[in-house]
Amino acid sequence: MKAWLKFSPRIVSKPVISDLIKDYDVTFNILRADITPKGGKMLIEISGSEAEEGIKYMEKEGIQLNPIKKVVKKDEDKCMDCGECYSLCPVEAITVDEKWNVELDDQKCIGCGFCTSSCPTKAIKIAY
Amino acid sequence: MKTIEEINQKIKDGDAVVVTAGEMTRIVQENGAGEAAKEVDVVTTGTFGAMCSSGAFFNFGHSDPPIKMSRTYLNGVEAYSGMAAVDAYLGAAQPHRNPDIGLDYGGAHLLEDLVRGKEVELVAEAFGTDCYPRTDVHTFISLESLNQAIMVNPRNCYQNYAVATNSTEETLYTYLGTLLPQMGNVSYSSAGELSPLLNDPYFQTIGVGTRIFLCGGQGYIMGEGTQHSTEGERKNGVPTGSAGTLMLQGDLKKMDSDYLRGATMPKYGPTLYVGAGIPIPILNEEIAQSTGISDQDITCKIYDYGVPRRSRPVIRETNYQELRTGKIEINGREVPTSALSSFKKALEIAEELKNWIEKGDFLLTNPVKKIPSEGCTVAPLMIKRPSIMVKDIKIKPVITVMAEEAISGVARKMVDNNINHLPVVDHSGRLMGIVTSWDIAHAVAKGCKKLTEVMTKKVIVALEDDPVEVIARRIDKNEISGVPIVDRENLVKGMITAEDISRLMCSQNNKEGDSQ
Ligand code: SF4
Ligand code: SF4
Repeated sequence: MKAWLKFSPRIVSKPVISDLIKDYDVTFNILRADITPKGGKMLIEISGSEAEEGIKYMEKEGIQLNPIKKVVKKDEDKCMDCGECYSLCPVEAITVDEKWNVELDDQKCIGCGFCTSSCPTKAIKIAY
Repeated sequence: MKTIEEINQKIKDGDAVVVTAGEMTRIVQENGAGEAAKEVDVVTTGTFGAMCSSGAFFNFGHSDPPIKMSRTYLNGVEAYSGMAAVDAYLGAAQPHRNPDIGLDYGGAHLLEDLVRGKEVELVAEAFGTDCYPRTDVHTFISLESLNQAIMVNPRNCYQNYAVATNSTEETLYTYLGTLLPQMGNVSYSSAGELSPLLNDPYFQTIGVGTRIFLCGGQGYIMGEGTQHSTEGERKNGVPTGSAGTLMLQGDLKKMDSDYLRGATMPKYGPTLYVGAGIPIPILNEEIAQSTGISDQDITCKIYDYGVPRRSRPVIRETNYQELRTGKIEINGREVPTSALSSFKKALEIAEELKNWIEKGDFLLTNPVKKIPSEGCTVAPLMIKRPSIMVKDIKIKPVITVMAEEAISGVARKMVDNNINHLPVVDHSGRLMGIVTSWDIAHAVAKGCKKLTEVMTKKVIVALEDDPVEVIARRIDKNEISGVPIVDRENLVKGMITAEDISRLMCSQNNKEGDSQ
């Protein structure tokens, strides 16, 4: 599952994430992070047998958790299927099928924003 | 041997055999050009790519009292109106007049909005004459309300095109899209075997007056485009570089936004995606052979756009079959490739044109005049005032520091010499980093002892044979005040600062003033 975690300033300095990884059987991947002393947010991917419990633990510790289904959204009317975005994606989330349609795989996307800033018609938006 | 008249008769009778350029390639491969010439009457081509050199003429009609427009803006994008009173030409690459919008909405976007039927704001200014007393206009217009809206594109349909990569450490934003550092990607633009001018490489059938598919409507070829060139290198009969171009025209009122899109190349500017398709009558075996060209037979070259000069180094040769696989090997590494033009749309265009011809809605034309297939070269713009190179400017003797020097000593060197940056070098004088007075202040505040901890290791440099303009742009882009000059061995030769450059500009201007 992918989710945005929101940290209040109070918990930024607490080792919540390291305790989570120590105490629960979870695979935890940080896709993006933007943390300052004033709090911050982090895009994560969490899986494993105790993912549910791990999520409960984070919520208990005061982290706000917003699960997301979509990291990026492609506006099919705007997209011209040029393929410019294809070579920019660091995780191969963008593919071109045999009919030359350009497709985006949300499961792989890490929301880096390379494609969104480079698309000539601004067809891709990061969904928050 | 067939004639265009015979093919047109077949089209009218519904008997013409029309195939796309992609289908023709397979037919020629399987049956040979001789058979293909007998079997096929027309081959349709297509391309859908970014073509900055596009635009449209408008006629707004006369207001009461009338105006002779001298400055004209459509949705804030300036159109050129230095013609008769109420005519204007809007260029696709023109950015918005408001710098905050700038590149995000330009001529190309305006053209798409018009084609989509949107109302746009017209603002015009004039100086006022006896016969045209009005001095300003502020109103709304739409494509429908214009008397004429005629697309005229000075340079479209490049025969072939350069392929780009970037060897530098920074991301580059170019007309070939975003180029990642360290050759992180490769960007190409041609539609390959579908591309119109690669299917008729010597302009045997495509000429002045040829009727074509242009952005969903019917358009015409006005002649060769600007920068048309014929003398470049060829392989398998087709150019390996940009070569031939076309000037096109068509009625904007008949166009479809599916085949015309306003776009912005990030940090480069607005550009128009133009969809064009040209029919090629298969008059003989030779023409059948030309239209049988395959992606594999079309060679193109990957250039290093990290070198901002007119002649960029070639990294390697490739072809469109290889590029279309989505990856290519460069120096033993696999690099992803992206197309900037849509192959899907190019195919759609070739199919659509095929459809029109099969239905009898579109007849072929005999060219009024041939487009030159030899003797055309493109001369560069000679700048009479030659570029000044970094090595030509007088720079202060270079002061450097060694990596192991104490922070206090470095601070003293800065104060004594009244400078703000010092290149940090190793024992043989090779550049290791750069340290600024700000870094030193930082080091003192934090109690750092070692220079290597506070210096910047990734240094932006100037080479001795870089033109000064290039360095000025580099300094400006990176928001720094100066860069060290190094030679090919990375030995430090000096520093060049924004101040040095502005002093140089002043002395240049003074010199010119004196000689006048
Ligand atoms: S760059 Fe934009 S228009 Fe081109 S394929 Fe990607 S999303 Fe579509
Ligand atoms: S946002 Fe980044 S990771 Fe996601 S599809 Fe775009 S380039 Fe790939």
